Amino acid sequence: MTKRSTTHATFVIEREYAHPPAKVFAAYADPKKKAKWFVGPEDWEKSNHKLDFRVGGKESVSGGPPGGPVHYYNGEIWDIVENERIVIGYDMHLDQTRISVSLGTTEIRPNGAGARLIYTEQGVYLDGYDDAGSRERGTRELLDQLETFLNT
Amino acid sequence: MTTTHASFVIERTYPTAPPRVFAAWADPEAKRAWFVEGEGWEIQSYELDFREGGTERSQFRFLKGEETFGEKTVFGNETVFNEIVDNERIIFTYSMDRNGVRFSISLASVELKPAGGGTRLIFTEHGAFFDGADGVKMREAGWRELLDKLDAHLAANA
Repeated sequence: MTKRSTTHATFVIEREYAHPPAKVFAAYADPKKKAKWFVGPEDWEKSNHKLDFRVGGKESVSGGPPGGPVHYYNGEIWDIVENERIVIGYDMHLDQTRISVSLGTTEIRPNGAGARLIYTEQGVYLDGYDDAGSRERGTRELLDQLETFLNT
Repeated sequence: MTTTHASFVIERTYPTAPPRVFAAWADPEAKRAWFVEGEGWEIQSYELDFREGGTERSQFRFLKGEETFGEKTVFGNETVFNEIVDNERIIFTYSMDRNGVRFSISLASVELKPAGGGTRLIFTEHGAFFDGADGVKMREAGWRELLDKLDAHLAANA
């Protein structure tokens, strides 16, 4: 029987992009665009990214290092304010084990000619899974990939 | 458009074993009795599909809406259950809206642990509140009231 335990944690990441809010928002809203940057590291084996961008719509993607465990991301969109805010609730599984449930808020604000992005993730890590900061590191990498995508 | 993020934890001990406390969350009739029914509210709809991926939806009219908000006021709640571990843990995501306008999204976990012959319940909520910084205080007060009502419900149905 699994010993049940929870660890609750919140982190915030802020970024400034030299692109207007509408362009940053579109990188989240357009499934073809989001699939370009919302992906794991280059050497990972990956599934197709799926996104139905509307309140109540689902998002999913999975992947992992060759021979390693598969990370499954399954999200649901809870709130959309065009060009301003997106709230997604999501579960992560490592193979068959649910390791976390999170609520991620992406806020986009005008910042000169560009945009300031504030991502807040509130989550619960389950049954002794030791995140040790890897979720925040992974999210920072994704936001780097978003910047590279916006710049190309 | 401002968003306030906040979290709170409430702990309670009930003189009732975990399976009965869990049942009060899992059974639609029991849950309705302590979670939805209440003085000052008119329940317009309530449904509970208690399984992982299942939803709970309710709409309830606040009878003092006119004097509090200056208009007829209907609140709506929509919940999706992320994880259910029988008798031990429930994790869910939920939204609240007032007259069709969403004002918060939250992630909540309910943990049940045996404590003597009873149960220690730990409720943790993380929320994104869109209607100002007071939102979390009202939410925490609301859940404290609900967990009191759960206590009364368990006592009345012992």
